[in-house]
Amino acid sequence: MTDTTLLLPVIMPFAAALLVLFVPKTIRMVREGMVLGASLMNLVLAAAFFKTNASISLPWLGFGFDLALRFYHFGNFIVLASAVFILLTALYCSVFLYGKSYSKQFYFYFLLSVGLTNGAVLADNLLLVLFFWEAMLLPLFGMIAIGNRQAYKTATKAFIIVGATDLCFMAGIILSGSLAATFTISRINLPPSGLGALAFLFLMVGIISKAGAMPFHSWIPDAAIDAPLPFMAFFPASLEKLLGIYFLARISLDMFKVNGDSWVSLLLMVVGALTILLAVAMALIQTDYKRLLSYHAISQVGYMILGIGTLVPAGIIGGLFHMLNHTVYKSCLFFSAGSLERQAGTTALEKLGGLAGRMPVTFACFLVAALSISGVPPFNGFFSKELVYEGALQRGWVFYLAALLGSFLTAVSFLKLGHAAFLGRTRDNNRLTAESPFSMLIPMVVLALVCITFGVFNFIPLRYFIQPVVGFGGPHQGVPSGMFLGGFTVAVLALALLNHVLGVKSGGSALKATDHIHYAPALKGIYEKAEKGYLDPYNIGWRAAGVLSAVSWRLDRAVDWFYDSFCVKAASGASAMIRRMHSGNYSVYIGWSLAASAAVITFLLKIHG
Amino acid sequence: MPSLLILVPLVGILVLNFLFKFVVRRAAFWFALALFATQVIITFLHAPFFYAGNADRFNPFFKVVFNIDGISFVALLCIEIVCLASLVVARYTLHDLSQRFNFTNLLLISSIGMNGLVLTSDIFSLYVFLEVAAVSSFIMIAFRRGKRSLEGAFKYIILSAVATVLMLAAIAILLLACSDTSFAAIRQGIGQSPESNIILFSVGMFISGLFIKAGLVPFHAWLPDAYSAAPDAVSVLLAGIVTKACGVYTLIRLVVSVFGFRPGLSQVILLLGAVSVLVGALAALGQNDFKRMLAYSSISQIGYIVLGLGSGTALGLAGAVFHFFNHAIFKSLLFVNAAAVAEEAHTTDMDKIGGLSSRMPVTGSTSVIGFLSAAGIPPLAGFWSKLVIIIALWKAGDIAYAVIAVLASILTLSYLLSMQRRVFFGRLKQGLEDTREVGPGFSFISVLLALIIIACGLLFPMVFNAIYAPIKQILIQ
Repeated sequence: MTDTTLLLPVIMPFAAALLVLFVPKTIRMVREGMVLGASLMNLVLAAAFFKTNASISLPWLGFGFDLALRFYHFGNFIVLASAVFILLTALYCSVFLYGKSYSKQFYFYFLLSVGLTNGAVLADNLLLVLFFWEAMLLPLFGMIAIGNRQAYKTATKAFIIVGATDLCFMAGIILSGSLAATFTISRINLPPSGLGALAFLFLMVGIISKAGAMPFHSWIPDAAIDAPLPFMAFFPASLEKLLGIYFLARISLDMFKVNGDSWVSLLLMVVGALTILLAVAMALIQTDYKRLLSYHAISQVGYMILGIGTLVPAGIIGGLFHMLNHTVYKSCLFFSAGSLERQAGTTALEKLGGLAGRMPVTFACFLVAALSISGVPPFNGFFSKELVYEGALQRGWVFYLAALLGSFLTAVSFLKLGHAAFLGRTRDNNRLTAESPFSMLIPMVVLALVCITFGVFNFIPLRYFIQPVVGFGGPHQGVPSGMFLGGFTVAVLALALLNHVLGVKSGGSALKATDHIHYAPALKGIYEKAEKGYLDPYNIGWRAAGVLSAVSWRLDRAVDWFYDSFCVKAASGASAMIRRMHSGNYSVYIGWSLAASAAVITFLLKIHG
Repeated sequence: MPSLLILVPLVGILVLNFLFKFVVRRAAFWFALALFATQVIITFLHAPFFYAGNADRFNPFFKVVFNIDGISFVALLCIEIVCLASLVVARYTLHDLSQRFNFTNLLLISSIGMNGLVLTSDIFSLYVFLEVAAVSSFIMIAFRRGKRSLEGAFKYIILSAVATVLMLAAIAILLLACSDTSFAAIRQGIGQSPESNIILFSVGMFISGLFIKAGLVPFHAWLPDAYSAAPDAVSVLLAGIVTKACGVYTLIRLVVSVFGFRPGLSQVILLLGAVSVLVGALAALGQNDFKRMLAYSSISQIGYIVLGLGSGTALGLAGAVFHFFNHAIFKSLLFVNAAAVAEEAHTTDMDKIGGLSSRMPVTGSTSVIGFLSAAGIPPLAGFWSKLVIIIALWKAGDIAYAVIAVLASILTLSYLLSMQRRVFFGRLKQGLEDTREVGPGFSFISVLLALIIIACGLLFPMVFNAIYAPIKQILIQ
């Protein structure tokens, strides 16, 4: 295998992206075929390189900015995982986007982000990582912006939030590069204290923002409504999770010497726990299929961050496993949302109902994925969550409880979602709804099967993918070691079911099953504010910016006054005074000269005399 | 043979009056032009001689000692270039043939005075040459015999008389104290008793006289009247070189070669420099008369030169000498342009003129170069010299003065910009439709001066090195 072939995973998608721009629209399916071909090739390349352990470094821009790629098990695993989702997404899009006006742009951005993801994951040079990482802003913005009418605003919001945190990432990279005196990732090993702590913090902000954790999440629910649906399944649900959690693991496990009792670990666990709880609490009250899912996309990141943040073997393995599982079931869920959107014409829960009979395959896939995300045994989400619980419990019962509460709420909200959309009374507008086309079903079915496989045979991903990456974890396979915890989980799930039944009874319909939580005395006000966006960090930021700009404006006026009025008046006043002094009177002039001469002479005598 | 620089104009005057006066008075201009061109050539031919090092060198022809070095070279070059410009301007602006002939004579006399005071190494000879230059200037200012001209000339005479008294008294005291008036003897005398009150007293008097000649605030009151009342050709000469040679060059020469840098003297020079920079710029801001504004601007720019000198370092002195040269060029250029405006528009009141650039493109565009150089805009020559002066002040620890110098350059830009806008830009004022370029010679001299400004700016490293290297040598000695 020559060196240049190693560049293929990065170069091929770019080339394909450019090619897509020039493909004529007139030939049917040719563009879709190209994208599928490129995605397939990407998967083949990822599989071919899976066992590769090699590095390539080509001089590029100088100043330590080399085109350095490193193939090793962790990166290869992420590339392979993303390649699977990419292929499935491409397959799904080939139908979903067919005939849409923006499909060309979408495919361009799609392939671009494939190349960028591969590049960012494989890069062994921090500056190169930064290059790919920041370049992801382009497809991010572009893919959201081609959505509906509100999309441009949402795209801007995403761009600003991600862009701002990318700047933190940049600062972290520069700082850690200069602290370590190298930009080669595999040679960096810094302690997270002093400036190193600052570097870690900057990197962490950029990374968890990419993964979509709180408080950098608020564009995701908006994008769920405004952006084209495959974007949601592809970007926030899979690619960004893989990328973000991959880098979180890299910085906490290799680049920085973080150990369990450092503040870094505590910070990560707190961020993780808060993200789980707050996001799922918001998911609970959503009445739109896609928007509800998007809050779960945020909430689930919390488990991954919590897991990695525990820095104990069970937690780390659990976090990474959960990352993999999440991409599987969340993509599946978003695909099911796309099915509904395409076939039923809406994703608003109040207009859906009783679709299980009309779209049985979609419903089955949804069911599997929903059971997985809720952590029901024996689906994959159960096993990864159990590992996270185990890690969290080793670090403190608070985190365990938070995670468990999160599971409870997740289950509650999915019971509501499934019940409202697929069961119950069929709405009038859903009477003619039919099942989705074949090529949209394939990705869903595949993902649902993966959910089951990774659950029942969880040793497959753990032994072949996760354990080589972390290098430990013999006992964390099969049935969870702590049956005690599993029992709790099952009990909590039973409680969730009970809560749902009671909620439906008190609310009158599945849609209102969570109203008793939504309108609970203490929560009602908070929810109201949150729904109106008062608690959105982005909006708070804008309000702060408004205050800042008002202050700056005043300051600007003052500076303006100083230059425009004060200085001019002072200069012209002085000028007029000088003119008045030049009266043309000889004696005065001679007087000036003589007085000044006397002063000069006196001064000289005084200084030297 | 630097003595040629005095002999050439001297013989020239004789030839002019005995030959040309009766035969071909019209050719007097070309003859004088040739004389000044010869001086430029002589100066350039002697460049290695000037740069051979600072020396009081015996001149075999006059049997006296000349004091020459790199600074003298720059000063001589300025004198000759400005005299040339003045001569050309006179050809177009002095219409009466006999007046022009007389002017040519006076210009030659003035150049003898200035060349002499640059070369001499004797404080009394210096005084004599100063008076030669000054007296010819008095006459030239009063050339038109109008009320304003006479008033301007009279103010100059009165204040010059004060300066004369101060300098003569100082020379007398120095003669008593040091038993000779040569630079070397006085330097020795001061070296022997540096704290002597009588010597300090005379030094103070002498430099006060020079301050009057240089027109530093508050010794400056004669200058705006003299500059603005003088005929245009004379304004070019006065502003371009006479005050600088008589006041600034002599100040530099005496401080460097005779009195030496001493803290008290430096402080006086710095303070007067800063005051001149500020007051000159502020006063220029409020002027409505083109030439008067340029006159105040000269005070301000001379302040910069003096600030560079006051820093007391080789770098500051080099900046001062470079600015001396730059100021001679750009101020001559601006006065040449003012002369063109006065000639065509028959007024220099800036409220009555406007938009002349459309009718006088060469004058308008060279004026832009001149004012940008004066305001210190890169890459023109004036920028570099100001920059060097400011850096030198900063390095010498005179940070307050450096800040004043920087701030005043904003004022400089503002008044020169307003001048350019009022005179040349905008809509052509009524009654100026018939204006046009004065003549090819006029345009030639404007373009030549503008080209010197641009070339010195672009070739700054070479030009500056030619000034800086000898000065470092001088100060080491």
